[in-house]
Amino acid sequence: MTVAVEAEWRLLTGLIESRFGLCFPGIRREILESRLRDRLQELHLESYHEYYRYLRAHPQREAEFGQLACRITNNETYFFREAHHFEVLTREIVPPLLPQLRSRPLRLLSAGCSSGEEAYSLAITLQNAALDRAGVTWEIDACDVNAERIARARAGIYEESALRACDPETRARYFTQAGGRYRLNDRHRAGVRFLEVNLAAPGAPLLAGTYDAILCRNLLIYFSHEAFDGLIRQFAGWLRPGGYLLLGHAESLIDRGTEFEPVCLPDAVVYRAASAAA
Amino acid sequence: MTVPERLAALNALRDGPERQAAIIAAMEDSAIPVRDAAIRLAARYIEPHVLGTFVADDVNAVLRNAAIAALERQGPYAVPYLEQMLAADNHEVAMFVLQVLARSGSTRSASAILPLLRHPDANVAQAAIEALGRLRSYEAVPALLGMLGQNLWLQLAAIAALGEIGAPEAVGPLLALVPDTLVAEPAVQSLQKIAAPDALVPLLERLQDDRERALRDSILEAIGVVIDMHPDARGAAASFGQACLAPDAPGNVLGYLAGILGANEAAAGRPADFGDGEPIQGGGSLLRAAAGVVVVAQLRPLYPSLLVYAGHPDSGNWVEALWRRHGNLSSEELRDLVGHADPTIRRGALLVGSYDPEDLPIIMGRMSDESATVRAAACRALGALGDPQVVPTLIDRLQHGEAIERAAAADALGRMPAEALDVLLPLITPTSPVETLLLVLPVFERCGSSRFEEAALALCRHRVTSVRRAACRVLARLPGQRAELALLRAMGDKDEAIQLSALDLLVRRGGQQNVTTLIGLLSASDSLRYHVIRALGRLRAEAAVPKLSDLYDACALHERLEIVAALIAIAPPGLVPFLVSRLAASEREEIRQIAAHGVAALAEPNDVGILLLMAGDADWTVRNEAAAGLGRLGLPAGQTALLTLVRDVEAVVAQTARAALQQLGGGSLRAIA
Repeated sequence: MTVAVEAEWRLLTGLIESRFGLCFPGIRREILESRLRDRLQELHLESYHEYYRYLRAHPQREAEFGQLACRITNNETYFFREAHHFEVLTREIVPPLLPQLRSRPLRLLSAGCSSGEEAYSLAITLQNAALDRAGVTWEIDACDVNAERIARARAGIYEESALRACDPETRARYFTQAGGRYRLNDRHRAGVRFLEVNLAAPGAPLLAGTYDAILCRNLLIYFSHEAFDGLIRQFAGWLRPGGYLLLGHAESLIDRGTEFEPVCLPDAVVYRAASAAA
Repeated sequence: MTVPERLAALNALRDGPERQAAIIAAMEDSAIPVRDAAIRLAARYIEPHVLGTFVADDVNAVLRNAAIAALERQGPYAVPYLEQMLAADNHEVAMFVLQVLARSGSTRSASAILPLLRHPDANVAQAAIEALGRLRSYEAVPALLGMLGQNLWLQLAAIAALGEIGAPEAVGPLLALVPDTLVAEPAVQSLQKIAAPDALVPLLERLQDDRERALRDSILEAIGVVIDMHPDARGAAASFGQACLAPDAPGNVLGYLAGILGANEAAAGRPADFGDGEPIQGGGSLLRAAAGVVVVAQLRPLYPSLLVYAGHPDSGNWVEALWRRHGNLSSEELRDLVGHADPTIRRGALLVGSYDPEDLPIIMGRMSDESATVRAAACRALGALGDPQVVPTLIDRLQHGEAIERAAAADALGRMPAEALDVLLPLITPTSPVETLLLVLPVFERCGSSRFEEAALALCRHRVTSVRRAACRVLARLPGQRAELALLRAMGDKDEAIQLSALDLLVRRGGQQNVTTLIGLLSASDSLRYHVIRALGRLRAEAAVPKLSDLYDACALHERLEIVAALIAIAPPGLVPFLVSRLAASEREEIRQIAAHGVAALAEPNDVGILLLMAGDADWTVRNEAAAGLGRLGLPAGQTALLTLVRDVEAVVAQTARAALQQLGGGSLRAIA
């Protein structure tokens, strides 16, 4: 890449970072380059700078940002990924809340939900814990910037690879197989709401102080430092006092000076809003 | 303070004595983002001699590392000071400075580094060797060759440095270290980097030594690279090939290479019918090197094992390219191999061959092969022969073959003389199946002959978009007004994809008539105008300048941006003042950015004052363009500004300024610093 093209690249990725919070070091840069190459061809554009100008000024720019979101996000996920978090939820987080949950629903947020596997795994976990028999209801919000993925999540139909961590009994119990794909049964889709939300942008349509726990796993690793810190502050605002934040195994808030304090549990480190602990 | 607050405070610092102290304090911050920001600011605002004192601080490693990173970012600005520091009594400091100089890419520092090769502290001497290697200092080669006899660590460093430099003089001394020394493998790796043709035969000879597998693999990989760089590898490897085929050949080279070729096959779990979708290890450097040796040394017993890889999506391209460059199957070999029981070998032989007319019967014989992939390969071979008598056969496959044959037949037909393809015309009428049209039209596109113009013109009005697009592509290759008019008409197609495709094709054709038509289209305020403006820029249409300039104030931002970009591409006389007025602070950020690009590209020496103003702009993209423009002009008046820009907080600007300074040359730089 010449110095001139490098500058165009910096300009374009700076715009993407400011819009979506995502950054593209190392191998991720190559992935982004290959995805953008196709898109530039489709738009009959010849350089990163032309695309930058398109995104900054063209009348179709908002639609193009939507297209871009679908291309630049990593949508790799599957049902019951990092399953210990689901156990932590029913074993450690929910029981102390039970007195409160007689008068209000348990509210969870799956942030960066892709095609909904995590959100539906939460719903299945809560059903299996028989919380409904204890009179507990729940609401699960799930959001992602990728409109195509949100549409897939709402459809609730999955390829074999999404069920890679499910044994045959789980598959038979929760899914209906049709034409080589798996449809999640309706009763496990109840209580899950999907929203198209850019978490890096201010003003996301999520209610402050309402969530008991937020799962945001394997998303922050793709964020710039600034976007990371900004999103953590947003999470702190969306959680109830004492609410929990569950991150992926490669993500940590240690030494980042956030509003959260780490809580070491037998199978996981989770983060609790510090204001409640104080 | 939280991390974001500390970052904000750091970025808000204003010029003054407190700024330096705050930056230095932040260089030790516990949070990485804050330290990174402080390093960027230190590179911009703290002088090298101040940073140098922290490099000597062996108590505070955090500050020392940050100072080293800041000096590295300062690059050419810090080099004169760093060169002075090489004489430091503190050997550790000298070592760090050598590393910084090496990473800064300061090639002119080699003469200052060379004396350190004899430094009494072996660590410093080793760092000097590594620095000279990294700087690819050719003047260091004699001294480095002398160090091949030093202690093991210096010897290893010198071997690696000679490889980095790519010095052909090192080939003999490095070969002398193979295979019986501790440093044999690093020496082979350096020989691979040097890739000198002279090394081919000695390396091939050493391939016969089978005592140590790891070393043998390294030698083979080095041979693979040398073959790529060799002007006549086949000639050089002939004797080696004959020796390998002898009954008492040393080292069983054939068995060794067969193991590599076969091992890859086995790893793929190759099924009986080796389908194109089946993954194989197609790109390993060892496999490629083994393939290279097989071809250049003409190791015929291994041809079948190699041909398996031809035609496969993972490996076909490089295997076929290897054969085209170095190999040539005789008619006899071709006959044997296309009669092989394994269809993948039959296919491979057809794909890699370069044929003579007398090979035609052999190839035609494969048109009735039981495997469609072999028949498709035969179609391609017929295309390579280019004999018009096979056209009926290819048309038969185009109409009746399997999908893979139809594509291969279309490709082969495109290589035939145009007059032999008239028989295709009855196949492409407006009522022909769309699938047939989409196969035949690319054949005509490839031919580029006017004899197919009528047919393409008729299909420009076809109901199916992809057919209309394919017909336009045929017409784009044809001269004359009829084709051009059809393309202009296609710009009014109901489908925007066709409009844009036609516009692209017209731009590629060029021509004054097109420019006139496109200028006319500027009057219509529709979504196509954005693309028309860009097209006029690509055509460098000077005739469009008045209309584009008139349009500028009347259109939306996205079109204004493209008008400025088009004007820069056209570069009419007197454009710079227009661009300078677009740089005004009141203009939109995007307009200023593209205008700055234009000023950088078009400024004359008497415009240097504008570039110097741009060098102090708050927008990094404008500063970046200033650096590029100052480098392009190469005037002494720009050097001071470039030495500031080389320390810019935005890495891209520093990189551009560094490249600009290199264009100016280092001597004057040293004088200024």
